[in-house]
Amino acid sequence: MNFRQFAFGLTFSFGIAWLAVVVVPFFKLRNPSPVSYQEGVDTKTGIYHPKRTGRVVNGYEVYAENGCYQCHTQVIRNTDAGNDLGRPDWGGLKLDADTGQDTRRESNVFDYLGLDLAPIGVTRLGPDLINVGRRVPARIREAAGPDASAGEIDGAARDWFYLHLYNPRLNPELRDWSSCPSYSFLFEEREITGERSDEALEVSTQPGMEIVPGDKAKALVSYLMALRHDDPVPASMDYSPADKKGNTEG
Amino acid sequence: MSSDSDKYLEHDDTLRASIDRSLRHPVMFFFTSGAAWLAVAILLGIVSSAKVHSPDFLAGCPWMTYGRVFAAHQSALVYGWGCQAAFGMIIWLMARLSRQECRAAGLIVVAGHVWNLAISLGIVGILAGGGTGVPFMEMPAFAWLPMLLSYVGITIWSMVQFKVRPEGHTYISQWYLLAATIWFPWIFATANILIHGFGGSPLGAAAVSAWFHSALPLMFFVPVGIGMAYYLVPKVTGRPVYNYSLSLIGFWTLAIIVPWAGLQRLTGAPIPSFLPYLGAFATILFGIPAAISGINLLKTAAAAGDTVAQSPTLRFTVTGVISLLILGLAAVFLNSPGVLKMTQFTISGYGFDLLAIYGFFSFIAFGAIYFIVPRITRREWLSRRMIKIHFFLSVYGVGGIVLIALFGGLMQGVGQENFAQPWQDAAGRAFPYAVFTTLAWTILSLSNFFFFIHLTFMWLRLGRRSSHPTLLIDPHHSSPHGPEGDIDNVGPATAH
Repeated sequence: MNFRQFAFGLTFSFGIAWLAVVVVPFFKLRNPSPVSYQEGVDTKTGIYHPKRTGRVVNGYEVYAENGCYQCHTQVIRNTDAGNDLGRPDWGGLKLDADTGQDTRRESNVFDYLGLDLAPIGVTRLGPDLINVGRRVPARIREAAGPDASAGEIDGAARDWFYLHLYNPRLNPELRDWSSCPSYSFLFEEREITGERSDEALEVSTQPGMEIVPGDKAKALVSYLMALRHDDPVPASMDYSPADKKGNTEG
Repeated sequence: MSSDSDKYLEHDDTLRASIDRSLRHPVMFFFTSGAAWLAVAILLGIVSSAKVHSPDFLAGCPWMTYGRVFAAHQSALVYGWGCQAAFGMIIWLMARLSRQECRAAGLIVVAGHVWNLAISLGIVGILAGGGTGVPFMEMPAFAWLPMLLSYVGITIWSMVQFKVRPEGHTYISQWYLLAATIWFPWIFATANILIHGFGGSPLGAAAVSAWFHSALPLMFFVPVGIGMAYYLVPKVTGRPVYNYSLSLIGFWTLAIIVPWAGLQRLTGAPIPSFLPYLGAFATILFGIPAAISGINLLKTAAAAGDTVAQSPTLRFTVTGVISLLILGLAAVFLNSPGVLKMTQFTISGYGFDLLAIYGFFSFIAFGAIYFIVPRITRREWLSRRMIKIHFFLSVYGVGGIVLIALFGGLMQGVGQENFAQPWQDAAGRAFPYAVFTTLAWTILSLSNFFFFIHLTFMWLRLGRRSSHPTLLIDPHHSSPHGPEGDIDNVGPATAH
């Protein structure tokens, strides 16, 4: 082997792979073309617009800088690649109380729009979070019963997230087994001036003091509450198992 | 005729001594600062692993939250220890094999300081909450350009030395090292430019970082490690490579296969589905170059079993080569169709990284350090016992972590895939493995404590002045440090 063969071989062997699995896919995935609903197949018409709410970008920054992705994924894999869709409340809800339907679906390319990096994640020491903003309110509604108003559920879910970030092991359901870190440094302990703040956490602290979420905690919870990716997608990109689709595939 | 060859040998000795002397500052700088970063990485490894089983340990301190500590641990291990050990090996071995003295030692040391400064700021940045959130590339975006520039300042001289090498045969190690020195900036710049320079492709960026996560170990640490082993094993045993053409085949299979690996980390994500399956396939095929190089090197070493047992260098190197074979097997097993879905999001990925960076690469690096440091400091290692302790505790520690992470990951995956059970079942499975991982990192910290002390003595030029290398044989006399003898008389160790 001489240098010419070496240089040619190295450029060729690395260059092709570099183009094929790195550079071209990166730019191809940059602007996904919009997907239309099809008449007769879908119940809607027009173009699919994924819903986005909440302080996604600066909430995600808090998520990223504290390394939440080291233990939490944000992806519902297709059924070839794993059993994520089998879990009753990961990819959506098995029985959505609002619509009475199974809203579970796998993740799609539009679920990550607006971020510079899809927080797919590395390991699942904790549960997947791509629908945590749907899952937590659904559990709260289940516990509260049908009489609770939407506003009450929303407030209770927000409190649930704040308590979880402050110290996951204060939640009786998680006390014995959660290994999620406490992010108490995102909260402030301050003196109660006048009335106790609405946002104050229900945790024991010194008398006359209260614990309230800081800006970063608020941004993060807003982001987590917005993690709802269970909206119905056009049939052309819905690869969910046939038996749950009901009317679309008879 | 015989006087000619004597003269040649004498010239050869002098040339090697002068090459070693010209490189002693940069090489010692990379080995010692690399070892210091290894200490940092191990301590952060203990903290991060302890936090998995005892989440209230150091809780409430933002700098010590799990997500940041783990990222800092990984960065310190990869860029602090791994890359710097590799730099020391590359610049020394390339100079030796190209038979060129280093004429830029000062510049290399300066570039090495820039590298250390960049990664220090990067790792402090991660701990302070400035991490990028890109898995395996957490250092804040300011760090990568100084790192890349200082990398060029460190390795460009090795490329120049290769270019001006004497006519004649080019040894396989040179091809491995040259390929690694070219691949590293290509991979590193690609990943950082695409991720930090072009926004708006969230899945594309995730895919690039997944590829980078495979490419850095498999296309930098693996070729540097194999190249070093192809030098050390024949050199210390005094036997030629078992099958030289096989070593070339091993090189080209590696070069052709591994650039495709990595995207299996995103299996099931909404990216074109050929990408993850191609990645899994390429990672499985990595078993081929691993087996070719591993078997070729072991066959070379097997011809001199006694030397392997006695030489500190070969003991570490051969263990590293065995780890390479295990790494190949793990690549096949973890990425095979039925297993990938279970291991994709578990601790077995961490186990695979550690097997590559610690079990394989670091053992080769330790072997190389035990070989190179006496030559550049012109002192022999002080204590056979310290080397033995370092060896055995390292083997137990890293073997423990890798076994735990690979097997524990599989158990975790079984729990994750069992969707009928509540999540608590899958989450709880990680607990016992985390306890053992903490224990194993503690063993490694103890093991490297002896290594650091020993290396520090050598760095302070307190090694034995002797021409007898320190071998791992039980002496019949009472000195625990091996026989004393004449000092090497090829010239003064200090500069003129």
